[in-house]
Formats: sequence, structure tokens, C-alpha cells
Amino acid sequence: MIEFKKTVIGHKKSPLISIDFLELKAGELYILIGKNGSGKSTLLNSIIGFNSLLSGEVLVEGKNITSFSKSELSKTVSFVRSTFPQTDYLKVDDFIALGRSPYTNALGRLSLLDKDIINNSIQTLKIAHLKGKFTSDLSDGERQLVSIAKALTQDTSIILLDEPTAFLDYSNKSHLHQLLKRIAHETNKCIILSSHDLDLSLDTNCSFLAINNSTKELHLVEAPAEKSALLNMAFS
Amino acid sequence: MSLTKKQLYFLIIAGILLPVLCVVHLFSGQISIEFQDFSNSLFHYNNQDTNQIIVRELRIPRMLMAVIAGGGLSLAGLLMQTLFNNPLAGPFVLGINSGSSLFVAFSIMTGIPFLSSDFGIISSALIGAFSFGVLIMFFSLFVRSHVSLLLIGLMLGSFTGAIVFILQAASSSEELKSFTMWAMGSLQNTELSQLPIISSLFILGIIGSILLIKPLNTLTIGEEEAKLLGTNYKTIRLVIIVITALFTGLVTAFCGPIAFVGLAVPNLVRIIFKTQNHFVLIFASVFIGGAFILICDILIQILESSIHIPINAFTSLVGAPFVVLIVLKRLA
Repeated sequence: MIEFKKTVIGHKKSPLISIDFLELKAGELYILIGKNGSGKSTLLNSIIGFNSLLSGEVLVEGKNITSFSKSELSKTVSFVRSTFPQTDYLKVDDFIALGRSPYTNALGRLSLLDKDIINNSIQTLKIAHLKGKFTSDLSDGERQLVSIAKALTQDTSIILLDEPTAFLDYSNKSHLHQLLKRIAHETNKCIILSSHDLDLSLDTNCSFLAINNSTKELHLVEAPAEKSALLNMAFS
Repeated sequence: MSLTKKQLYFLIIAGILLPVLCVVHLFSGQISIEFQDFSNSLFHYNNQDTNQIIVRELRIPRMLMAVIAGGGLSLAGLLMQTLFNNPLAGPFVLGINSGSSLFVAFSIMTGIPFLSSDFGIISSALIGAFSFGVLIMFFSLFVRSHVSLLLIGLMLGSFTGAIVFILQAASSSEELKSFTMWAMGSLQNTELSQLPIISSLFILGIIGSILLIKPLNTLTIGEEEAKLLGTNYKTIRLVIIVITALFTGLVTAFCGPIAFVGLAVPNLVRIIFKTQNHFVLIFASVFIGGAFILICDILIQILESSIHIPINAFTSLVGAPFVVLIVLKRLA
């Protein structure tokens, strides 16, 4: 699904992560861990082409990420950013419905299918009670759930999430990890999320992507991962 | 985006209010004119009848310019606010008006007949608005904070204001008078023969904005999010700047600089309609913006017997306190 070939990721001339070869599969949830400033967000931004690579390439479904058109890309990769837009008078339903923009016509009219998909994502995240509220009235945790619903609505084969659980309470955190894992399996998506919550992530029993703090390499640690190995690799 | 029944009703009310105010505006003024004269001036025009001449040469152009100035500036303000994701943006505070003013000052005060002709003034106002639009877009690439961009816009305004002062000091009394009259702002400088081209450009701008509804809706959640949803940001940004410059330049050329309408009306519209759906926001801004200037101008005509207030002064008197209210509400 996603292939890295001799990829070097970073800002301007300071490389943060180098990847010799790595393939991420569809139907899997990957949790990305690493120290602060190790380049987790930069890596996610590189997969959607917001951050240009220092060298090498990233292939999505066999095709170089730089050769995707904007419209193709929006139908292939969705991204849940760690910040939420500060917009007044924006209803939760309207916000989630924006996820259908890559598919709607020039006037943005929603078809019945679009509405079904929107309702499904709302059901999946159990946020029906937030419908009709303004996004400016939500708590940080509710905003994260709403953002994830928008990403599901975008119906892409790859979903990237930048610390999606940062503001969630404990039960919501573990529930969300399990949910994303199930979505990856059931709908054959490739989902990558970055997290600082190592213990909770270990409970999820999925594969890890660990940024090695000393060698600046990205390692794939297949499930079941061992806590001591991850700690050694990423946080030593 | 969703459109509730309530929003639709409000939109219809605003859509009815505008033509009603147009009619009230036509009948207001120092000289009272019979309905008969109105219909005659339209359908059986007699160019010897003073009342019919007043209707055709003065009242209709003034009424239409009020609608175009209010609607155009409000829509320009809405587009700026959505593009920069900043509810306090507008053609006046971002200095788009001052671009027009500077270029118009140049063309009037150089004394070159071609430049000070109607065509010369209109083209300079449009070019001035567009180049300052591009300039503010360029600055927006470097500043992330809402307030910084507004400060840059205000600095652009002060800077061009200073240049205009210098030009005024160096110009003849005739040119000075002509520029001062323009800068006071007036809805009465337009002639009937100019209306077809002004109205066509106005309608063109509205059609352009309607075609942008979907990208504008995605831009409400910010530039990066809009890009993730497949919005071609750079193209859309350029089209928005062109349409904004068209409205601002057009209105500034014919009516002079009119402040605060572009900032205040879209905010008022969002407060009333409580939505980010640009289908609603675009039409409501045109209706309510047009209605706002019509009401201002009706009041100006009522007060005219005791005091003459230029339209620019009037919109600032009403608009500035409203903007302060919005800022206070946002801080609260």
C-alpha cells in the first residue's frame, strides 16, 4: 500500500528520518512512536506530499506520491491533523460532510450515497449526539472524534492521524485504538497514527513504526511488540 | 453544506427586502415625484419633463449604485474573510481600497487627459485594487497571525495615504477639487450610460463567486484542510483576488472609497444566518449589503435639508462601532 524506497525525510537540509526500504500493508493499523521532535508529524506530512522529500521516494499503491493530482490524492489519503480549525458557525454535520468534497460535483451537492457515508461515520464514532452543534462549542476530545469522522467520510484507502488521542479520556483512547484497528481490518485500509501513549498502544496489539533516536532510522516492529524493545529503540 | 428552512426563509425575506428598499429609495429625495412620472420615464420617456429627467438621470443610477456598492463590497469582504480565514478582513482594512485610491490619485493628478477620463479612472482603480490584492496575498504567505495581516493592511493604507497627500500638495486646484470630490465618496457620480457596463461587471463578479461556493466552503476550515480535500488552493486564491479586486475597484472608481461595509456586512450575515454555507453567505451578503447602503442613502437624503453627509462618512459612523462590537464579542 505504502512503500518507502531510500527515503530521507526532514526539513530543508536537516534530515530527520531515513528509510532504506519499508512496505506498509493494507488492512493494518500502525502506531508511530518516537521522541518529541523526532519527525513523526514530518513523516505523516511527507506521505501526503505536504513536506517534500530530501531524497528517495514514497509510493502509494505503486505510484509515486508526487505524481498524484490533488483530486486523486484527496481520494486516496486522508489526514487528521492535531489542530482543529477555529471557525465560527460551522455545524458538526457540515464539517463532517466536507469530507465528501473530493467526490461531489462543482456545486458540492451531496447525493444519497454521500449522506449514507456521512451517517455511517457518525454511527461508527458514536457521535450522533453532537449533530447540530457548532464545532466551536465542542470539547477538545469531541473535536478529535469529529475530525476522525470527517476522515472516514473521505473514504480513502490510507488514513493518517497525528496524535488523535491526545485529548481523549482513557476509555475513549483505548476504544479509538481498537476501533481504528477494526476499521483497518474490515475495510482493508492502511491506517497510521502517531501516539505518545506507549502502554495503551501496546494493549492495542498492532504493529509499530519506531523512529530510532540514535540512528534516525524508521523501524517496523510487527505485532506482538515488546515494550522493552520499543523503549530501547525509540526512547533510549 | 446544509440549508435549514429557517435560513431559507431569512434568505427569501432579505431577497424581498432589497427590491422594496430600492423602491423606497427611488421615491426618497428632496423633490417628490409621482408614480406616473416613474413609469413614464421608463416606458414613455419625455426628455423635456424635469421630473422624468430626474428619475432617469439621477434617481435610477443612484439607486443602482447603492445596490452595487453595498452588494459588491460585502461580497468582496466575504471572499477576503474566507480566503484569509479571518473574520476581520475586508477590502478596506486590508488596503485594497487604498490601492485603488493611489492609482486613481495618480491618474487624476498627472493631468494626462486619457488617464483622467472615465475609462482611465476605472482602469486605474481596477489595476490598483488588483495589485494591492496581490501584494496583501504575498504578505499573507509570511504572517500567520490574523492581527498582523490587518496591521499590514492598515500600514498599506497609511503609506498610500501619505503618497496621496504629497500628490495633492503638488497638484493644481482643479485636479485637487476633482480628487477630493471623488475621495468623499458619492453615489451620484454615475451616469445612466455607464450603468450597463457597471451592472454587467457586478453580475459577472456574482456569477464568479457562485462558481466558487464549493472551494469557499472547504476554505472555511483553513488552507491546509482545504488542500487535503482536493481544493486547488493556488488557483482558487488567484480567482478570489481577481473577483475581490473587480468589486472593490469598480465601486471605488465610481463611488470613491467606502469604508467598513465589506467588513461589517459579512459578519452581520453570519450572525443572522449562523452558517458557513457560502450559498447562503454569498446571496445574503449581496442582499443585506445592498439593503444597508440603500438605508444609509435614504437617511442621507432625509437629513440632506439640514446637513450633507458623504456616504463614506455615514458608513464609517455606522460600521466602525459595529466592528468594535464584533471584536468585543470575539474577545469575550
